[in-house]
Amino acid sequence: MLKINNLKVAVNGKEILKGLDLNVGPGELHAIMGPNGSGKSTLGYALAGRDGYEMTDGSVEFDGQDLSELEPEERAAAGLFLAFQYPVEIPGVNNAYFLRAALNAQRKARGEEEVDSMTFLKTVRESIKTLKMDEALLKRAVNEGFSGGEKKRNEIVQMAVLQPKLAILDETDSGLDIDALKLVAEGINGLRDGKRSFVVITHYQRLLDYLTPDRVHVLSDGRIVESGGQELSQRLEAEGYAFLEETAA
Amino acid sequence: MSALIDSLATEARLPADDHAAIRRRAHKALLQHGFPDLKTEAWKYTSLRVLEKRAFSEQQAGASALPALPFAATLLHFDNGILNVDDLDLPAGVSLQPQTEEQLAAVDHGDRAGAFAWLNLARFEQAWHLQIEGHLEQPLVLAISTAADFQNDVHPRLLIELAAGARAELIEVHEDRGEGLVNIVQDAALGRAAFLRHLVSRQSAQSAWIQRSHVRVARDADYRFHTLDRGGRLTRHDLAVRLTESGAHAEVDGTVLVNDRQHVDFHTAIDHEVGHTNSRESFRILADGTGVGVFNGRIHIHRGADDSHSDLNTANLLLSESARINAKPELEIYAEEVTASHGATIGQLDDAALFYMRSRGIPADQASALLKQGFAAAPFENIESESIRDWLMGELAELV
Repeated sequence: MLKINNLKVAVNGKEILKGLDLNVGPGELHAIMGPNGSGKSTLGYALAGRDGYEMTDGSVEFDGQDLSELEPEERAAAGLFLAFQYPVEIPGVNNAYFLRAALNAQRKARGEEEVDSMTFLKTVRESIKTLKMDEALLKRAVNEGFSGGEKKRNEIVQMAVLQPKLAILDETDSGLDIDALKLVAEGINGLRDGKRSFVVITHYQRLLDYLTPDRVHVLSDGRIVESGGQELSQRLEAEGYAFLEETAA
Repeated sequence: MSALIDSLATEARLPADDHAAIRRRAHKALLQHGFPDLKTEAWKYTSLRVLEKRAFSEQQAGASALPALPFAATLLHFDNGILNVDDLDLPAGVSLQPQTEEQLAAVDHGDRAGAFAWLNLARFEQAWHLQIEGHLEQPLVLAISTAADFQNDVHPRLLIELAAGARAELIEVHEDRGEGLVNIVQDAALGRAAFLRHLVSRQSAQSAWIQRSHVRVARDADYRFHTLDRGGRLTRHDLAVRLTESGAHAEVDGTVLVNDRQHVDFHTAIDHEVGHTNSRESFRILADGTGVGVFNGRIHIHRGADDSHSDLNTANLLLSESARINAKPELEIYAEEVTASHGATIGQLDDAALFYMRSRGIPADQASALLKQGFAAAPFENIESESIRDWLMGELAELV
């Protein structure tokens, strides 16, 4: 599904990712953990195609396509989704309208028919219910005046409606209380169907308690320095990232 | 004298009718003060050169198209600026009469800044007195439209009076296909506890639109002004609202869009003349291409107008390097126990929001259109009527 080979990414001329390798197969859920400043969010933005995140070397293949050739909206239409660490407020643009415009733009790009508003509302209402969100949020401007937790859950609603092939979740767990965390995990698990893949970027193990990742990777200074199973995340939680230096030494 | 005096205000162009004395007085005032120029403080960003280069025809233009509206309304069509009264069907509580000699004689338009209003008084074709009582069920629409061959100048004049407790929505739809001058003067008075929603939707081509709206708001009355101005070659609107009795309330919301070779200038003034009066104003300009947008919003809280509250905000979007926006809030406070806040921002489309939308699959041009639309539509959220709000949103969607 996702094959990253020796990826180097520079932001403002400064190299942040320094040769990252990652392979995520169909249906797999990978966790990427790492200390602040290790390049976790840069990876998310670079994969989604944000301006200023320049791929200087290496390759990224997504579902058989060279990702670097695609605009952000083309990546989305191809099935890539990034749940933002800080979801952006869009004043004056209605949440439901925005989501439907996004869904239909993707469908149009794929040569599929647009969904009618009834079908759309049905889908979106189901997701809203799963995440125990207030339906009134659909009528508000995108993320405007949402609490931190509502913004994060709104990302999961978008993911559920857009049905991507690969979802990258950038610290979706940060700022969530334990109840919201469980709801978000449920939202993610509900979308695991054996084909859809996930890359979950997180600081902490607590979200992973509910997700059972296939692989856990540790990102440090722009490279994956350690990979393993769930036990790796437990070790990180217990010992912190300090052991990385020991490993390196 | 100036080119505008020669083209618009020679003695020969004063209509010969019963109002000769009033017209001569106005003409004299105009000659005495002259038209504003860039040295006139309130006109320093708006040049009249476009107008000075024009010759105005005295041939009657062809009939102008009536704007289509998606809601039920009582329609008054000012065809090329002249109201056709033949088939007028006014609802109960509404009356329309010519203004009297006495009403016209009482007018004072001040100095040079009032030049176009003096011109209007000297040259008006019709001066109407619109009176409203009770609650109007349907909006009153004043559709002022011009035909493609309109190269004339026209000077509509209107006095609007709402009786105590009256409630009305007055919607002005200005549509211009010509290359002339529409010079509107309107005065409105809201009686005690009256409510007036006053909306101006304007789409101008090559004509110049000069409009002066003066509004007086009495005890516990509520005046709401909204405008969606979709740009024009030269548009200038002066809105002055006086809160003259305790409990008077005013809200002013505007969105202006300008693009290549367009210039729109809004000057608003809200005067809190007595205490316990409230106002709120929010104005937005989106300037693209070589468009120029000007907003000057003045709040004046007079001496003794204690315990008054006002909030003025202007947010603006510069969408190209050659567009220009001059936005200025002005606050003058001479009273005590007052809260008055103001803010002004000029910025560009938010890159983070654009990327967020694109990352969801929305193509870049559609994403920026949605952002612009959202920004421009924000002031309309204060309109309770869904059909009117939807209409304005639709007009916006076509534009951005």
